[in-house]
Amino acid sequence: MKFLFSAAFLLLVSVSGFAQDNYDVDLIPANLRNRANACIRNEETTVDMRSPDNVMLNVKKAITVFNQNGDEEARLVLYYDRNIAIKGIKGEVYNSVGKLTNKFSQNDFSDMSAADGFSLFVDSRVKHYLPAVNQYPYTVVYNYEIRNKQNLIIPDWNPKPADDVSVEKSTYNFICKPADQVRIKTQNYSGTPEVTTDEKQKKTIWKANNILAVRTEPYSPSHETYNTSIQIAPQDFYYYNHKGTYTNWQELGKWIYDDLLRERKSLPPTTIQTIKDLVKNEKTEKDKARKIYQYLQDKTRYISVQIGIGGFQPIAAGEVDQLGYGDCKALVNYMQSLLNAADIDSYYCVVEAGSEKKSMDPKYASMVQGNHIILCMPLKGDTTWLECTSQKIPFGFLSDFTDDRLVLACTADGGKLLHTPKLTTAENLQTRNADLTIQKDGSIAGQMKTVYAGSQYDNQESLIGKSITEQHKLLKETYNIDNIDFETVSLAQKKEINPKLIEDISINIRNYAPVNGNKMFLQPNVFNVKRSIPEMRNRTLPVYINRGYTDEDTIIYTLPDNVNTALITPQDKHFKSVFGEYVCKAAVNGNKLTYYRKLVLNDGTFPPDQYTEFSKFINDVNASDYLKLALSLK
Amino acid sequence: MLVCRVKLHQFIIAQMNKTLTLLFLLFLSLAAQAQNFNYGAITYDDYEFDRKKLDSNANAIVLKEFGTASIQRDDNTGSMELIFEHHVKIKIYNKEGFKEANIIIPTYKDDTREETISELKASTFNYIQNNFVETVMDKKAVFTENRSKYTRLTKFTLPNLKEGSIIEYSYKLRSPNMFNFKTWEFQSDIPKVVSEYLVYIPGIYNYNVSLRGFQKLTDQKVELSKECLRLSGTAIDCSKITYLMKDIPAFIEEDNMTAPSNFKSAIYFELSDVQSLNGSKTSYTKTWKDVDYELSTDKSLGAQMKRKDVFKDLIPVITKGSNDDLEKAKAIFNYIKKQIKWDNYYGKYAVDNIKKALENRSGNVADINLNLIAALSAANLDAEAVILSTRDNGTVNKLYPVISDFNYLVAKVNIGDKSYLLDATEPLLPFGLLPLRCINDQGRVINLKKPSYWIDLTASQKTVSSYILIGKMTPEGKILGTLTTHTLGYAAYNKRKDILRYNSVDEYVEKLDERLTRIKILEHSIINIDSVEHPLTEKYEVEFTVTDGSNTNQFYLSPFFINTISKNPFNLNERTYPVDLGAASDERIIINVTLPEKYQLIEKPKDMAIGLPNAGGKYILNTNLEDNTISMNQVLQFNNAIYQPEEYLFLKEFYSKIIQNQKTEFLLKKAN
Repeated sequence: MKFLFSAAFLLLVSVSGFAQDNYDVDLIPANLRNRANACIRNEETTVDMRSPDNVMLNVKKAITVFNQNGDEEARLVLYYDRNIAIKGIKGEVYNSVGKLTNKFSQNDFSDMSAADGFSLFVDSRVKHYLPAVNQYPYTVVYNYEIRNKQNLIIPDWNPKPADDVSVEKSTYNFICKPADQVRIKTQNYSGTPEVTTDEKQKKTIWKANNILAVRTEPYSPSHETYNTSIQIAPQDFYYYNHKGTYTNWQELGKWIYDDLLRERKSLPPTTIQTIKDLVKNEKTEKDKARKIYQYLQDKTRYISVQIGIGGFQPIAAGEVDQLGYGDCKALVNYMQSLLNAADIDSYYCVVEAGSEKKSMDPKYASMVQGNHIILCMPLKGDTTWLECTSQKIPFGFLSDFTDDRLVLACTADGGKLLHTPKLTTAENLQTRNADLTIQKDGSIAGQMKTVYAGSQYDNQESLIGKSITEQHKLLKETYNIDNIDFETVSLAQKKEINPKLIEDISINIRNYAPVNGNKMFLQPNVFNVKRSIPEMRNRTLPVYINRGYTDEDTIIYTLPDNVNTALITPQDKHFKSVFGEYVCKAAVNGNKLTYYRKLVLNDGTFPPDQYTEFSKFINDVNASDYLKLALSLK
Repeated sequence: MLVCRVKLHQFIIAQMNKTLTLLFLLFLSLAAQAQNFNYGAITYDDYEFDRKKLDSNANAIVLKEFGTASIQRDDNTGSMELIFEHHVKIKIYNKEGFKEANIIIPTYKDDTREETISELKASTFNYIQNNFVETVMDKKAVFTENRSKYTRLTKFTLPNLKEGSIIEYSYKLRSPNMFNFKTWEFQSDIPKVVSEYLVYIPGIYNYNVSLRGFQKLTDQKVELSKECLRLSGTAIDCSKITYLMKDIPAFIEEDNMTAPSNFKSAIYFELSDVQSLNGSKTSYTKTWKDVDYELSTDKSLGAQMKRKDVFKDLIPVITKGSNDDLEKAKAIFNYIKKQIKWDNYYGKYAVDNIKKALENRSGNVADINLNLIAALSAANLDAEAVILSTRDNGTVNKLYPVISDFNYLVAKVNIGDKSYLLDATEPLLPFGLLPLRCINDQGRVINLKKPSYWIDLTASQKTVSSYILIGKMTPEGKILGTLTTHTLGYAAYNKRKDILRYNSVDEYVEKLDERLTRIKILEHSIINIDSVEHPLTEKYEVEFTVTDGSNTNQFYLSPFFINTISKNPFNLNERTYPVDLGAASDERIIINVTLPEKYQLIEKPKDMAIGLPNAGGKYILNTNLEDNTISMNQVLQFNNAIYQPEEYLFLKEFYSKIIQNQKTEFLLKKAN
């Protein structure tokens, strides 16, 4: 019986060509057309792990494109390098009634380097093709096979690639030897996969049917949290002539440390001596580390170098020492080696970087998580984190690029998950104080000081080191106000663990408050208007606010003597919700008009039905920010 | 031996005022020898070079740059090749300048020929303890990347870079491509102290040379170089020409400008003819007369224009019901638009032939528009081809034909005394309006029977939008009304494109409604989405809040709630290059709102009528309260597609005046 089944399956695989399916668009159920620009009619992904160095991926996909917005979904994009061989691609195009109109093959594909910008790459390449069809809807059917000469990274399954795509049917078939041990991460998959095992193979099949297209909702959590996906990590792996075994982060971190990092740390004796001399007068480990970090920032710069064991192994520290540049891996490894020279312990940490926070999954270790490397120094309880790719960032500060998430520390004892510090709503503070004088013609001029802290620290960091003309140009983008000009610009960094950036500028805005008849129109909130967000009915996803912040603005206007201050009515607005708090005040004292604004926006995840409240909160802030005073003139 | 002729034309882009500023420079001098500088000879003057002399804002400065190009015979293959050598020395002032140490050298390759890089060396020099310490770049640090089928990139970055470092690199490039010699860019994104280009052109080669951009040559020398090349035992003399430019400012791109190559100072070569030893001459760049003949007989261009046979049977069907030539032309234009989908590639030559493109229903620009020309001709209409260069590709050389400058082909049909430029690649554009990418100075009309000629490429329609709001205000301070908008030209094209990004009109309006936070769209109808020959009309029943309703006895009301101008698009203090907006535009807003009760108008925004110099544009505003109805009438016009740099500050002030006015409001008081 077992034998029979296996034979039948093989037969099925070999005959599953195209032609026999009917791609008439009318066969698509109406609910799958709603909000969809494309519909995946059928996708069959088969991953056959024949051996650790021979993993075959076979994808057969039929996708119907309803209109030009769905075109890109029909594009076939295949990345390859010397470890990935494309064995064959063929495809067909059908018109709306399911009649074959065109065929394509590998020759029709564009082939280009996968490098982007200035990156020293070796052999990562991409092939892509999009059939040009001008009659909608149409269906593209293709089949390709790829051989992976490694099994550290197994192609995963995401049946629904985008919000505006619906799925009629999608299956994922993972085949391995019955004895192979794999770990599987299942997300948002309700059923149980079909498993069939014989003496040669173990097959596991996941299926998804009738997934509807949805509208894209702003301020929603990342797709992974609500879309179906399956990821697989084999226990025994082979990768670029390396072999290893892991079932958890501890073992994976150990392998990275032993196989990819340990041999990369030696430095020339002169550099070791330089470091020893550099820190000899420093008392604490932290002070020593600070000095060494300064040395790193002065000596090196970031250059993307995608070489060495599939982009996972850093250039040797000795080489960085000589070249003065490297990518994140190389610079962290180099910094770690410099710290070693001063007997300071540190961990090479893999992180998923980006403003949107993504943690390593504590329950599922795999090599595909993480896209960046940072350094962690335990310093006997005074844990300090270093971002090694920037020459400007203060010692011990990670910024919103890698804050508040789980990272994998690769140590001699193996891997462990650590949590980077969170930048809180209160810490992410922007404080602005301006003292401006209004002329009779409505022109305003004066001094403005803004202090940026926490995640807001790098709002204006890019200005540092730029020439004056460039700074003025960039300031005109930040403060995009008609007729604005800057006289003096000063930027100072307080390079502490909780750093601050202080921007001190003198500004001049000609005719800011226009005079019309006997009124002068002044919008006292010149610099900080919160943008409105869409209102939305029938919200389905939770409201997700990635990071909170606090803005506090105080502007004191000295009014010209022709303004009748007695006629100014004080303004006072204050509202609060779970999403934050807003205060806006304007009051006159003598010839001074003081405008005060405070906005606190909280981070967190809130139920879908609270979106209405959220959009009301933000849009009320937006409306209040436009407060306009009509000042009566004497 | 043959006398060599070298002309230098300097031309500044014709967009300025449609007339070419021509400057023929022909120097013949035998002054000092141009010479490469020694590699690695860093001086203290180099290290201490004061950037204030050139540009105090510079992050890096090219101290010296020297290039040579010559034609030589490759002894291995026996074929001629171009040898180009490039040597440069750069002072890096700060970290912002580090990116100048990331070098990418692109080279050409195809199945049979390729350019090669050799003798590449690069070093960083740092001044340490009164000594210049050289760090030589390791050969292993050089990466080559096959970017695409035709491009290879040689990439490297310099080692041991510090603020204050001097970097130096040089390489030799061998090229089988003699046609364009090698372009020399005097100007780059950092300033240069000296940039010098020395070319050896054998007497048997004749090149047309042109200098683009605003910078002038500091010097140019032409000398005779005896016996610089030996061919079949015959010694050939060369012209040895030196082009020198000093104190070159950095080239900085600005908003609203066409291709940087139009403005960047660089010297271009185009092979005109080659004389062989037996005295016969092969022409490459020729007169338009030669080009006309070539293009009209080219199997991928002229030959395709003639293929009426493809459409012989189709024309009666396509033009059925058309009463005159214009209707016929429109029917054919619509047929081609519908029938063949553009594959997003430009081109002036058909890939295979037009029949294949028609059958596959897909093709590049030339495939589609050659089909259009053939079809128009098959219907006995007078159709021609126009070759042109797109905005991102730069303007074409007008002094003599440079065929490689042209990258696009459209159709021209002449009906009666009118002619229409047609591009069937964009289904959303109406008959006679070229896509914005084609609006770039002039194109050349290729006629199968008559000599070719230049034609202006301008937008045949203004960008027009109008908004009319008729409504009434409720006692609670809400406005209920009907907003009708009409759009034409590129405005209609952009809007249609935007609408079609959604699955349905309902979804488009839903998104619009979400975006307009203070406005509720109660009902909508959009007319002529697909009828691109007609204005796009949108009608919305809207409800929105203009006051908070807290005080109905006396309140402020801003009439500027449609397309408010709050940001100045021309906010900078200076401008170097022309502002190119693509097309003239016209926007009108009319608002009529009936108030719930009798109100008095206490204050109102000033009525205005301001203009740009030379009738370049105007803004008119009139507001009124009459018979309990508030009205606003606004016109914003730009009559030119291109404004000169000296007009920038006028544009800035023009917008500033509008912004100031739009900050003021109506003050209404209930009448007793």
